[in-house]
Amino acid sequence: MNLLAVQTRTTPAGPVVELTGELDYDSCAQVRELLPALALQAGQQLVVDLTGVTFCDSSGITALLAARNHALAARADIALAAVPAHLGRIFHMVGLDQVFSTHPTAQAAEAAWSPPAARP
Amino acid sequence: MNISGETGSGDHRAPGKQAGTEHAAFSALLEDSAEDLYEHAPCGYLSTLMDGTIAKINTTLLDWLGHERGDLVGRRTFSDLLTVGGRLYHETHFAPLLRIQGEVSGIALELRTTDGGRLPVLVTSTVKTGDDGRPLLIRTTVFDARDRRAYETELLRARRQAEREREELMRLNATLQQTLLPPTLVNVPGLDVAAYYHVASTDMVGGDFYDLFPLSAGTWGLFLGDVCGKGAAAAAVTSLARYTLRAAAVYDPDPAAVLSNLNTVLNHEYNGHDPRFCTVVFGLLTPEGEHGGFRITLASGGHPPALLLHADGSVDQVDTPGGQLIGVLPDAHIATATVHLAAGDTLLLYTDGLTEARQARTGDGDRYGDEALLHFARALAPTTASDAVAAIRDLLDTFGTGIDDDTAVLAINVPRPTNEEQQ
Repeated sequence: MNLLAVQTRTTPAGPVVELTGELDYDSCAQVRELLPALALQAGQQLVVDLTGVTFCDSSGITALLAARNHALAARADIALAAVPAHLGRIFHMVGLDQVFSTHPTAQAAEAAWSPPAARP
Repeated sequence: MNISGETGSGDHRAPGKQAGTEHAAFSALLEDSAEDLYEHAPCGYLSTLMDGTIAKINTTLLDWLGHERGDLVGRRTFSDLLTVGGRLYHETHFAPLLRIQGEVSGIALELRTTDGGRLPVLVTSTVKTGDDGRPLLIRTTVFDARDRRAYETELLRARRQAEREREELMRLNATLQQTLLPPTLVNVPGLDVAAYYHVASTDMVGGDFYDLFPLSAGTWGLFLGDVCGKGAAAAAVTSLARYTLRAAAVYDPDPAAVLSNLNTVLNHEYNGHDPRFCTVVFGLLTPEGEHGGFRITLASGGHPPALLLHADGSVDQVDTPGGQLIGVLPDAHIATATVHLAAGDTLLLYTDGLTEARQARTGDGDRYGDEALLHFARALAPTTASDAVAAIRDLLDTFGTGIDDDTAVLAINVPRPTNEEQQ
């Protein structure tokens, strides 16, 4: 059973991955397999939009951590957008709210990003 | 030139010659008599009287069986051609069904050949009736089913092998699971202990673990945790986590230090595209006072809060805010909390397989959740270690197949003094 839909789009700030459905053991491989194919350049920001995620367990968290490792390896940033309340609670419990920067929407995440050249 | 000329003239004549050959071949087909078709058809034909006596049989079937026509026609019945098992089936099923329906098709039987062999066949029979509707004779076609039988045998063999391998896998999984859990929990003076491990799938090893073990100077260590994911890769992390925790606790029993050590080990071992981590709670138990009871320092790395079920029936979540997953970050923050376990108090540790179970009752995939567990614990308190574990076990049973992930439960309880119970 495949309960997760994954959509990717590209913005000047970097790729945005939209996840819809359940992020668990059965579906997390979809996210992890997608990572190497993402066009992510140094200084860019990978945004994972969680608006439509109804469930996330430890395997889902693994997928997000794999995304983080992928971004860091590319010398890019990662941000989570629209973290649903139930996910927020889990993230808080496992201390990941201190690891990922979060934004209310993907647009807000994009707006918060500044090109490397413009940085001090 | 000469050769090519001859070839050319040969080519020139070819169309006429080819047309002639085709015509001859076609004629041969037309000349193929119905009798020849009957005799040498690629299947066996057999006509019997209503009592089974063979009236007519084609050459194909005679060749398959090795019989002469004279041995069979008017002398033997169709049943005589069958193996003992086939004959029994023919008498009890095939023939009665044929009488009732007037037709039986695609029945697998075995015929005996004169050299003592067996020929698997598929048999179809129809009853030919006269103008008045009375049955006259039975027409039977016999198809050679050797290839099909070989295929079926092969399928059956493959299926049996798959079943054997699945059983072997389940056995291996169960064994591997057992090695990740203590065979029995040690006896801690003044403490009742109970644990339960719920296996969600016999195909996959889960990543939950727990242990309770003695440390120096009358103190005890306990831990319960959950490695992300499942299967052999998760089991490897579980094993590493378990032994690291035991070893680290001997070296420095401070709970935060124990989890820091585990964090360092896992972080060095697993990084990059396949991150592995665990949530874990580690407790150091120190007996206190003459009245019994224990001081417990708990350190948590991103694990769901333990529940403290007091003797007076109240329930507290033992919060350890800010504690982070173990193994992901080079310097994970580990939060600690200290609780006192007095007579009649029960501390309940669990993994999120319990709170993330889908509820069968609602049927809409709603997860059980932390709040529901808290309510459940309030209804349960005050309790004992074994009663608490039994209650969780019953609760898990109500979820049925709604449990995606393994669940581990560990409960410790300071029993009330016996004289108090008698009062």
